[in-house]
Amino acid sequence: MLRTIFKQPWRAVRLAVLALALPSAAAAQTTASAKAALPIKFGQPDLGDFEAKNFVADSGAAAVILCDYGSSQFSSSAGHLVITTERTTRIKILKKAGYDYATVEVPLYHRDERAEKLGNLRGFTYLRGADGNVTKTKLEASNIFDEKRTNNLLVRKFTLPNVQEGAVIEYSYVVTSTFFDNYQDWTFQHAIPTRWSEYRTSIPQVYHYKILYRGYLPLAINEGSVGSVSLLLANRLSAGAGAGAGMEVGTSGVHMSTEQHRWVVRNAPAFREEPYSTTPNDYLARMTFELAGIQMPEEEYRDLTDSWAKKNKLLLESEEFGKAFTNSKFLAAEVQPLIAQHLEPAPRAAAVRNLVVKAVKYDGTDRYWATGPLKRSYEQHRGTAADVNLLLIAALREAGLTVEPVLLSTRSHGAVSQDYPLLEQFNYVVALVTLPDNKELLLDATEPLLPAGILPTRCLSQAGRTVPTTGEGRWVSLVPAQRYSHYQEATLAVDAQGNLSGQVHEEHGGYAGLEVREKLQQLGEKKYVTELIARHPGWEVAKYAFAKQSTVEQSLGLSYEWRQPATTSAAATELYLTPLNYFGERRNPFQHEDRSYPVDLGMLQQDIVRVTLTLPPGYVAELPKAVSLVLPNNGGRYLYSATSTTPGTVQFVSRLTLDKPVYSAAEYGALRELYRLLLAKQAEALVIKKAG
Amino acid sequence: MLLTFIAAVLAGPPAPKYPADAIAPALRENAHAVVRAYDEVVTVKSPSQLVKSIHKVITILDPVGSDAYGEQVVSYDALNRINYLRGAVYDAQGRLLHQLRPAEVHDRGLGSAGGSFMTDLRVRYADLRQPTTPYTVEFDYEIASENTLFYPHWQPQNAENVSLEGATLQVTTPTALPLRFEEQLLPSGAASAPVVAGSQTTYRWHLPAQPAVEEEPLSPSIDELLPAVHLAPATFEVQGYAGSLASWQSLGLWTYQLGKGRDVLPPALTAKMAQLMISDPDPRARARKVYEFVQSSTRYVSVQLGLGGWQTAPATAVATGGYGDCKALSNYTCALLKAAGLPAYVALVGAGADETDVRASFPSSQFNHAILCMPLAARGTTPADTVWLECTSQTEAFGYMGTFTGNRHALLLTPEGGRLVATPRYGAQANRQQRRTDLWLDATGSAKATVRTQRVGLAQDRYAQLLHEADAEEQKKYVSNRLRLGHFTITNLRLAAAPVTKPQALPGVVELLGLELPGVATPAGSRLLLEPNVLGRLAALPAQVGPRQTPLALPLASLSQDTVRLHLPVGFKAENLPQPVQLTSAYGTYTSTCTTLPDGTLQYVRQFETRRPAGTTLPAAKYAEYQDFRRKISQADHAQVVLVKTEA
Repeated sequence: MLRTIFKQPWRAVRLAVLALALPSAAAAQTTASAKAALPIKFGQPDLGDFEAKNFVADSGAAAVILCDYGSSQFSSSAGHLVITTERTTRIKILKKAGYDYATVEVPLYHRDERAEKLGNLRGFTYLRGADGNVTKTKLEASNIFDEKRTNNLLVRKFTLPNVQEGAVIEYSYVVTSTFFDNYQDWTFQHAIPTRWSEYRTSIPQVYHYKILYRGYLPLAINEGSVGSVSLLLANRLSAGAGAGAGMEVGTSGVHMSTEQHRWVVRNAPAFREEPYSTTPNDYLARMTFELAGIQMPEEEYRDLTDSWAKKNKLLLESEEFGKAFTNSKFLAAEVQPLIAQHLEPAPRAAAVRNLVVKAVKYDGTDRYWATGPLKRSYEQHRGTAADVNLLLIAALREAGLTVEPVLLSTRSHGAVSQDYPLLEQFNYVVALVTLPDNKELLLDATEPLLPAGILPTRCLSQAGRTVPTTGEGRWVSLVPAQRYSHYQEATLAVDAQGNLSGQVHEEHGGYAGLEVREKLQQLGEKKYVTELIARHPGWEVAKYAFAKQSTVEQSLGLSYEWRQPATTSAAATELYLTPLNYFGERRNPFQHEDRSYPVDLGMLQQDIVRVTLTLPPGYVAELPKAVSLVLPNNGGRYLYSATSTTPGTVQFVSRLTLDKPVYSAAEYGALRELYRLLLAKQAEALVIKKAG
Repeated sequence: MLLTFIAAVLAGPPAPKYPADAIAPALRENAHAVVRAYDEVVTVKSPSQLVKSIHKVITILDPVGSDAYGEQVVSYDALNRINYLRGAVYDAQGRLLHQLRPAEVHDRGLGSAGGSFMTDLRVRYADLRQPTTPYTVEFDYEIASENTLFYPHWQPQNAENVSLEGATLQVTTPTALPLRFEEQLLPSGAASAPVVAGSQTTYRWHLPAQPAVEEEPLSPSIDELLPAVHLAPATFEVQGYAGSLASWQSLGLWTYQLGKGRDVLPPALTAKMAQLMISDPDPRARARKVYEFVQSSTRYVSVQLGLGGWQTAPATAVATGGYGDCKALSNYTCALLKAAGLPAYVALVGAGADETDVRASFPSSQFNHAILCMPLAARGTTPADTVWLECTSQTEAFGYMGTFTGNRHALLLTPEGGRLVATPRYGAQANRQQRRTDLWLDATGSAKATVRTQRVGLAQDRYAQLLHEADAEEQKKYVSNRLRLGHFTITNLRLAAAPVTKPQALPGVVELLGLELPGVATPAGSRLLLEPNVLGRLAALPAQVGPRQTPLALPLASLSQDTVRLHLPVGFKAENLPQPVQLTSAYGTYTSTCTTLPDGTLQYVRQFETRRPAGTTLPAAKYAEYQDFRRKISQADHAQVVLVKTEA
């Protein structure tokens, strides 16, 4: 049976495992999909596509993808099995801003002797003239270019001729590939509206792929069937054939049944990136494939993904992963003193991490396979995330600690599916140290400005997978215990003229500490404070002092004193003050009314402001009302109070806590409203009057 | 025996190189890195060949310096070959840590990152960043160039927060191919007298230690403020095209001849243009027709390969493909205008909002863009005029040169050679923003607002782009991100081109905005406090640390007018209105008034006209005065209206 799980409402489904069809089971379901008519005929544009009335609903768009049709199947080429992907795309250009869609880049990967090849590239631009006749201009070879982008990547580029407003452009090409572990993915949604996006696949039973559908759009058509394919494959002499083993001796026809799919997304709206998101790939409607197993005729089934245990074994036996970190002798001389110095595991782990942070610079590349022997990275003082953190794991092991690698996918790399053991979805590795009281510590050595136990923000992607020495491993939460935490305490005094003065102490903890330390590194103390003052016209700052700037384990402190002279010299009978305005948010971080996708902050947050204001002698204040607001689903709260416990002073407390790393799109409105109320309370004036 | 022993000792561990503690304290001040050495040797081999080799040593003091200077990127293309790129890194004591291996030098194409559809420009790069600072990197690379139109430009210190210990430049050229150079802000004694040896002449410069500098708000770009030597050939040859840079005239002539014969149009197109001479006798109207034809039937696609970086594609290629780069589209439009009986010239220009004007005293290739210049003779009562055309934009207004190409010099390419001329510069009245806001306030301090903003001239540049290039959602996002309000909801947004009132009017964009503004006024007991200048506040000047060091470069003159009608909630009256403000200085005039209209509505009117005093920059000493003017404006922009509940 072909399994679909579209029972839940679509908005709630973030990641869906679409189909894992077993050949025998799939045979039960045969539909007509294999015979479905092609959605597009190259070279025959629809006359309706030249009628303005058909694009009234797209008035906001620069261009519309009328049809994007892809079909990927196995075939034989010169006796060898290849994956052939044909693509035909037709686009209506509505505005000049849409001209960019007439320029296309196709990345073609190559490695060693294998290469993706593009062929049969054709393209036309159709224009309807004033006389109503449609003229077409052909894409010429002179408009096709190759760029050798990197050692493994060639980019074929072309741009269609004669593109004007109202034109319909069309192009088609075929890519052949022998990278069977990289079956063509398909993205149904783009930055412009897409009327019809269709992908068909036909995979012989030799190859088994796990197919994942991601995104927030429903499939209009989702069909599966069994078909067949005839392949002409080279006969090779078997391994027992002595000197001739592997030699090709003619070809023979092979007839195989295939698993076929047809997926269609209709009327996909333009995709727009939103603030506080991970990568667009986490939100776009797309189909991805991972090779799960190979069933060669008359051979045993090679299961490539059956269990985490097997994946873990593969990783641990690899020179670039497990074997890399088990060889840690070269670290002994540096690590031994730390063992003697730190008897407790937690400080020892922190000291070892510190050693690695100082020894190796992260070069900005995220991966989980080491680029070479760790000793080399150690000696070069530089490496990828894998080089740095596998070295960390090696050093932690050398220090006698219990440590496991944890694979994860960074925020810019995208969410992981927890349903299947798919290694390709990871791009990063960190260390998990088990402490004696069963507590655990996640360690990363790429970011010197963070203390041990706090992962860099790029890693905050919900869950990672452990790679234990034996067994399956498990998912561990990547939601940090440490918040983004900002605390400000101010003691202010106002006199009868309205002159203000104050002492402020602030603490930036967790990720807020990282943010300020980065800024300080860039600007230096003086410029940092100058920028702070520049946000408060009228402030004069007499002195300031930073604390714990290089002690990253602790909150970064800043104390300063300021005064703000009154604009008039006369004593006022009434004064209006909004002291929280000096210290709080200025803008609602959620400006836009609507939200399509979740708000992914990655971490929890806290922002506390306490102000004690001393009034001029003989004056009293009307206190604003306290509020307490709570977000739905224990998402967080905002507390505000203004009290006067001793006459002549007023105490304000403003406390914002966000208790979830991710808020659903449905919760967005509440989040935005919380900030609106926060800003409103913050702006409410305290009325100070002469007591009469 | 003894000699061998001495030799062995001498050959022992290499002497430390550039230890970090040898850096003078003054050079560490404000510095993320220190350039210990920057030695450039340029050898002119022939009119068409030049070799440049660089040896540079930089001590990196902190992680910020590490990310800026620990990597080396060298670009190359079809006409510039990298002979070698070598590197090494030393610890704080100057001991060798690592020698760069060839496998660590990466190579990649720039893709569309450079704005080009297709280019042969590529980069090689190497990363020698270290986990702890200080450390020192040393890079050596050599480039062999066959594009002698460009000679190297020497500026060893060209960014903020980096100091210089010392640098040298040496240029050797055949005496028969004399070097042209222009020195910029060099300390005295930096240049040595040229030395002639055989058939070669060698020029030498050296720069002594220079402390790090910091960029300041509203200052000229940093490369204008630091010492440099600009080099150029007297005569050169690129791909068989020989030329001279003796004057703007000769550079223009070379470029003109490079494009010669490439302006032939398909006969049908020539006929179509000739037809316009009959249907549109007025030259300006006819030119507009030609321009509109180009805008509707072509687009900008940049292909820069080899000599194609300087030589235009033939007009026929644009006619058939419907696209081209700036040179090709300008050449094509020029050919069309000529066929329509309108002589015009292609002009080279340094385009970009932040591009500094050409060094007029030093004829050399300083341009990155091509536009068109069309002189119009006097006709009847219409005086003579010059029309400038941007041919790469499908939406730019006819004859308009905005922040991208306006207010600078361009090199006209005429059959007689080049001529440096000024592109249009618009005054304060031309660059204006007029806004009318109606604000309906309720008793809780929330408001609904409608806003109509008309922007003209340079003030509309970004909005014109928004209007033509962004869809409705993107427009809304842009406008949202720029509203300086704590919380708001956009209920309506519409952008449209301003109606054209006269043929030579500058382009304009009208923005209609509907807003909901909860909490725009601050409740204070029975009162509401509101700053009526809700949308027009001038942003505060960026922070200035310590005394001003660099000259003040002000933006072009502009005018902004705001009228806010404040409709009071029922049961409220104005208790206190801000006093009128009038500020006048060398930098502009500012006025604001707030009055009660007969129907009880409050009207706030603000006008701010900026002025740019003569010359492009002002001395640093003037900054305090300017800062004071801006501070007063900020204060006035925050003037407050107090409303009070009337007794019911």
